Amino acid sequence: MLESQCTWTHSPPPTMSRPLSFLLNNPSSPFPRTFPLRQLFINSTRSLTPAAAPIFRRPSLMAALSTVSVPHPDKDATAAVTPNSSQTQHPLQVAKRLEKFKTTIFTQMSMLAIKHGAINLGQGFPNFDGPDFVKEAAIQAIKDGKNQYARGFGVPDCNAAIAERFKKDTGLVVDPDKEITVTSGCTEAIAATMLGLINPGDEVIVFAPFYDSYEATLSMAGAQVKSITLRPPDFAVPLDEFKSAISKNTRAVLINTPHNPTGKMFTREELDTIASLCIENDVLVFSDEVYDKLAFEADHISMASLPGMYERTVTLNSLGKTFSLTGWKIGWAIAPPHLTWGVRQAHSYLTFATSTPMQSAAAVALRAPDSYYE
Amino acid sequence: MEKKLSRVANTFTPSPIQELSHLAQRCNAINLAEGFPDFPAAPAIKSAAVSAINSDFNQYRHVQGICELLARNAKEMYGLEVDPDTDIAICCGQTEAFAAAMFAIIDPGDEVVLFDPCYETYEGCIRLAGGIPVYVALEPPHWTLDAEKFMSSFTGRTKAVILNRFIHCVVFFWNNPTGKVFTWNELEIIAEACRSRDCLAVTDEVYEHITYDNVKHVTLSLLPGMQQRTIITSSVSKTFGVTGWRIGWAIANPIVASAIRNIHVKLTDSAPAPFQEAALTALSSGPDYFESLRRDYESKRDYSIQLLTGIGFQIRFKPQGSFFLFAELPESSPLSDVGASLALTDPKTKVAFLTLIIPCLLVLMVQVEYVKHLIEQAGVVAVPGRGFFHFNSVSSESEESLSACHDYQKRYIRFAFCKSSATLEAAAQGLSELVDTKGCLNLPPPCKTDT
Repeated sequence: MLESQCTWTHSPPPTMSRPLSFLLNNPSSPFPRTFPLRQLFINSTRSLTPAAAPIFRRPSLMAALSTVSVPHPDKDATAAVTPNSSQTQHPLQVAKRLEKFKTTIFTQMSMLAIKHGAINLGQGFPNFDGPDFVKEAAIQAIKDGKNQYARGFGVPDCNAAIAERFKKDTGLVVDPDKEITVTSGCTEAIAATMLGLINPGDEVIVFAPFYDSYEATLSMAGAQVKSITLRPPDFAVPLDEFKSAISKNTRAVLINTPHNPTGKMFTREELDTIASLCIENDVLVFSDEVYDKLAFEADHISMASLPGMYERTVTLNSLGKTFSLTGWKIGWAIAPPHLTWGVRQAHSYLTFATSTPMQSAAAVALRAPDSYYE
Repeated sequence: MEKKLSRVANTFTPSPIQELSHLAQRCNAINLAEGFPDFPAAPAIKSAAVSAINSDFNQYRHVQGICELLARNAKEMYGLEVDPDTDIAICCGQTEAFAAAMFAIIDPGDEVVLFDPCYETYEGCIRLAGGIPVYVALEPPHWTLDAEKFMSSFTGRTKAVILNRFIHCVVFFWNNPTGKVFTWNELEIIAEACRSRDCLAVTDEVYEHITYDNVKHVTLSLLPGMQQRTIITSSVSKTFGVTGWRIGWAIANPIVASAIRNIHVKLTDSAPAPFQEAALTALSSGPDYFESLRRDYESKRDYSIQLLTGIGFQIRFKPQGSFFLFAELPESSPLSDVGASLALTDPKTKVAFLTLIIPCLLVLMVQVEYVKHLIEQAGVVAVPGRGFFHFNSVSSESEESLSACHDYQKRYIRFAFCKSSATLEAAAQGLSELVDTKGCLNLPPPCKTDT
């Protein structure tokens, strides 16, 4: 029964080159929100990892620990293609900057998962579904004919709801039409921010380990990446190292709090230090806060809410994690108008507009009472 | 803080098409600007999406069935052999498929040849990937391809830009804004150029099922030697009237398709899950669906042509595909006077650059003024054609090519006819308000450009 819900056909066997995702859907045992397993979703990655075959033969724990792509020896992107024998063989070319981004570790882990029938704890989506009231809203939008191009930077009501939510969470008042851009998931918000605000050669500081799309989009933007490793066991920010890394030559710092894959939350002290150094050196902050609603012990602090920081911060978030609707691809970037401009330009050439009915539903979701979040 | 923007972002301006759409909304005008239908999508497809949401297909997803159906359709409709396991990348709309394709094959400094006039987004994607667009003008009034002009753009550009190596890539788009479908001979010219220069080709085939007068859509991949060097991009948006669902794809040889997939994963992760499911239903549609789609749009095309020519617009080229009409302003239109006064005088000096930019911007302003007049007086919005024409950022050798602001570029307005009969009739009514007692379109003289 469960196999029929799997979107992947098992024959022929999938090749390693595909970054596929599968749905692990086990409706017979939905996980309640308070189930401790939820914590593990925080520690797993957000990338696409094909789910295990949906049978619980061998409940082995598998988490994708690395965020670095592993080159696949069989899939050198610049190797000559071997098409039909009737064709002359020419080496086909792929852009240099992306040569190293081949099959991700997630794809490889997924193949192992299928092979061994393991439970998939590698991919960052829940196997319980979103709340009914949100799904109903999307269905109603489809029936009401909201199926055509949305306004490029977001359906007005969706932008408004995002602004309302942001105000509740941070106290900051933003203009929904000038300071919010709706994107196809937080992943696209990240891509649009990098491509819209980073020039080739710009220096960007990131904290490792980090979500794999950061490196790829920074590479697409031609950035010079400086990576600072968070220190186990607490994954604290090595502030001295950060102080010596940042300078007037730094364009931006990328932070992710709560942090994927460690589950760390940046402390007030860490954020204050990063903030003051960014102000001193006139550096931007890109703050990926997609897990902000999944904070357990400490309160989430939004970088943009720190004194002097809103004007230089792009805050990135999405609907998917909070509402267990990761496949709807509704994300957003909140930034002052002069930074929103760049994000919007890139966004308009990456996807043009975001899925319309889901935005209507997102507006409903974001206005959910606070009791939902607890 | 403006200096915080990337160089690329700084060169971009807001979409004139979207801005006019907003104006139309504010004035409650009939929107014949943006290319989306105002009639509902097929009920079966919407039901499929609703059912997908209810069945909890709401998490990250890749629906391989889409690839199977695309491969089947490619074979049945075009005779193209596509491997569903290796040759297809599902993306968030054709837009993302195209963007991912650009990142997959373009390095900074690579040139990309495009045909003019063309849709505004291609240049943006190309520049985002660091590429340089090179435009080859199609010849009005039938938008034919001049083989010599085309081939010479390859040669000239190679010399101007090449450093150590380059990728030349030809971008093909079907039909927007002119409604032209390339003939087999023209495709052969393009194919020969790609083969002989070892170039790639990228096609935008979103209107593949919207062709008229029994003109058959031919995909470039069918030509000898082209399948392995062509990236086809398309989507469900236009064919199934669901432009807001963001389900598209790229079809290419396995290596390029894999690169596009990998990049897509980094750009957006995946396309919206419930709509991928619904796409299965859409792509399983039988020949009847496509037949009635064509018939329906063909009758809208014919109605719109009659409407516009009846009030004085010139339509010398009847669209063979897509749902746009690229109509010329009437000969009596004062716009032609504006054109004469903007002729360049000294193309060889630096001033030429300014005299090139400013008149074109002024013309755009003037066309925008006309369209604003259409919105305010007739309650109808369309798109100034000037925005679809471009001039090369790399300077040309000849005087003639420097004066890229050709007269004809100032004379077109694009109307979308992908609207219900009621809408088109209302538009007819509105436009008739602008017609004087002699039955001619009465447009205001240009007021801001007394040159």
